[in-house]
Amino acid sequence: MSAGKLQEILSQGKFAVTAECGPPRGANAEVVWKKGALLKGYVDAVNVTDNQTAIVRMSSIAACAHLIQMGIEPVMQMVTRDRNRLALQSDIMGAYSLGIRNILCLSGDHQIFGSQPEAMNVWDIDCMHLIHTVKDMRETGKDMSGFALDEPPKMFIGAAENPFADPFEFRVLRLAKKAAAGANFIQTQCIYDIARFKEWIHVAYEQGLTEQVHILGGVTPLKSAGMANYMATKVAGITIPEAIIKRLEATPKEKAAAEGMKICLETIQELREIKGVHGVHIMAIEAEDKVPEIVKLAGLYPRP
Amino acid sequence: MSESYPRPPNHSMAEVVETNNKAVFKPKITVFHCFNAISSTAGADSNEYDISAVRMPCSSMTREVFLLRAFEAGADAVVVMVCPEGDCRYMEGNIRAGKRVARVKKILDEIGLDGKRLNIYPVPEKDLNTIDRIIKQTVSDLAGLGPNPAS
Amino acid sequence: MIVGQQKPLAEIKAEVVPFSKLLILGCGTCVKTCFAGGEDEVATLASSLRLAFKKDGRQIKIEELTVERQCEDEFIKEAAAAIARNDAVLSLACGAGVQMVANRYAKSPVLPGVNTTFIGILEKQGLFTEKCLGCGDCVLDVFAGICPVSRCSKKLMNGPCGGSHGGKCEVNPDTDCAWQLIIDRSKDFGQLDRLSTYVPPKDWRTSNAGGPRKLVREDHII
Repeated sequence: MSAGKLQEILSQGKFAVTAECGPPRGANAEVVWKKGALLKGYVDAVNVTDNQTAIVRMSSIAACAHLIQMGIEPVMQMVTRDRNRLALQSDIMGAYSLGIRNILCLSGDHQIFGSQPEAMNVWDIDCMHLIHTVKDMRETGKDMSGFALDEPPKMFIGAAENPFADPFEFRVLRLAKKAAAGANFIQTQCIYDIARFKEWIHVAYEQGLTEQVHILGGVTPLKSAGMANYMATKVAGITIPEAIIKRLEATPKEKAAAEGMKICLETIQELREIKGVHGVHIMAIEAEDKVPEIVKLAGLYPRP
Repeated sequence: MSESYPRPPNHSMAEVVETNNKAVFKPKITVFHCFNAISSTAGADSNEYDISAVRMPCSSMTREVFLLRAFEAGADAVVVMVCPEGDCRYMEGNIRAGKRVARVKKILDEIGLDGKRLNIYPVPEKDLNTIDRIIKQTVSDLAGLGPNPAS
Repeated sequence: MIVGQQKPLAEIKAEVVPFSKLLILGCGTCVKTCFAGGEDEVATLASSLRLAFKKDGRQIKIEELTVERQCEDEFIKEAAAAIARNDAVLSLACGAGVQMVANRYAKSPVLPGVNTTFIGILEKQGLFTEKCLGCGDCVLDVFAGICPVSRCSKKLMNGPCGGSHGGKCEVNPDTDCAWQLIIDRSKDFGQLDRLSTYVPPKDWRTSNAGGPRKLVREDHII
């Protein structure tokens, strides 16, 4: 089977653009179609979240399959929180059989933050193990038990990294671990603190890691000072510099969203100039309609 | 009510309850006290209430079960009198007593006995006026709380 | 030690409601140390229950007894007569103790009065923290003496996750991020590079995932 578009673009050294699509809290495929229609043609691949923030939604695999039918290439997110290694492997095989070619391996948000905090978690394996497993399936054709698979899934493997989480000095080390485990591309946490991001990627670049793994910088346009404050204080792992919050606070309310968009475009512009950054991942949470505008204004349209 | 019965005097319900309580309710108060804080509660007795006192070498000897057993023995209220913070001869006995009282108050609330029946007060060394005030306060609180429902 | 916490009084009350003669059986080992089921807690609970039932206009006869350890047959033998005198046993031991008593005294209802919570330590007076999950395959050598299985909210073998902030876990800002501790301690030993090695998935067969476990010491069986 042929490689996906995302893999092709990244391996050709082109600047990739991905976006995100959260499946509905229900069985309504139309929601996926609508989001897909908004994004089609503007991005190279669309990440489909897997029970993101531990809120139960339509499965990532099913939503990915809907996107494929629309001619959109999905990146299937997969968390190790909800399934043990048996279920993970079988779902990877199933996903590949449905035409899914990209996977983003995650440990997942803790269920305590979700809609069903009384649930038992799994974490039989962590995201590093998942990366390793998918690579082994691809390279050796075997599952975790060493069994040779009939048509092994050959996924393009992604992982996440948060350059803003602590301890900072370990973040590059962990990136190296993910690259060694088999990650082909990395999508980062939303970048607002560009200085810290530069520091992180500089070390990664110096160590040659950006040659081993494609880094896609994550961006999320802020809609208001309130949203910025909320994300800075309530969302784990996100850092927003005081200067950005002040800039939004100083903007009249009705113009805050436009200012947030401007900040987002400035970030993308900066990212494009940083050595080692190979793309941008636009996480417009429940604002997929903004993605085409961002892509166009950032000068990243048309896509290859 | 049958017409043949004599009609009760024209009192409001509240007045009736108050009169009845006065007639039958002579509060029993158990005082746990550190003998460094007060030497005894002798003289605190009155016709309006009964006091039984438990003297302790330090209020840190207040254990949860002793407080509960005082209620089992029929106390309507339990008062723990301790040295003011910083004055405990054994450093933190009064603080420990405070923590235990807080815990038993919760247990009393859970039982439905009302944690307000149990209180802890600091008493400056042998200050009889304070003791008198605490007892009066307790008696007045009990007028609202009524007798120990588990006695 | 095994750390436990006494169940709420209302729950205990509901458990013992059908019985008029009750033995509260304490355990003088772990649960005593964590103030859940030793002699003092037995006495406090007995008094609380008597008051609670009396308030409801009901009588309950409660007998109190605390044995050294409820998880050993040798010690619970002592409770035979007291158990025979009562309608039921409310055990303040951990789940192991409750079952040991139930196993020996098949005809008596044995009820739990304690929620067994974790294997932990007395970090300081009044503070108990979880330190071990009993996974059956100790990996503390790999992680500088700090267990990610019990102390990382996601059991990450290759942490830390992106939620570690200021040395604290995203799940609870009062909880230290185990991975921050692992990294700090490894650094102190000059062994930070060891953490760059991929740690393979855990074999959970030795844990409870492999079914109820049994340990046989032939050298101690006569």
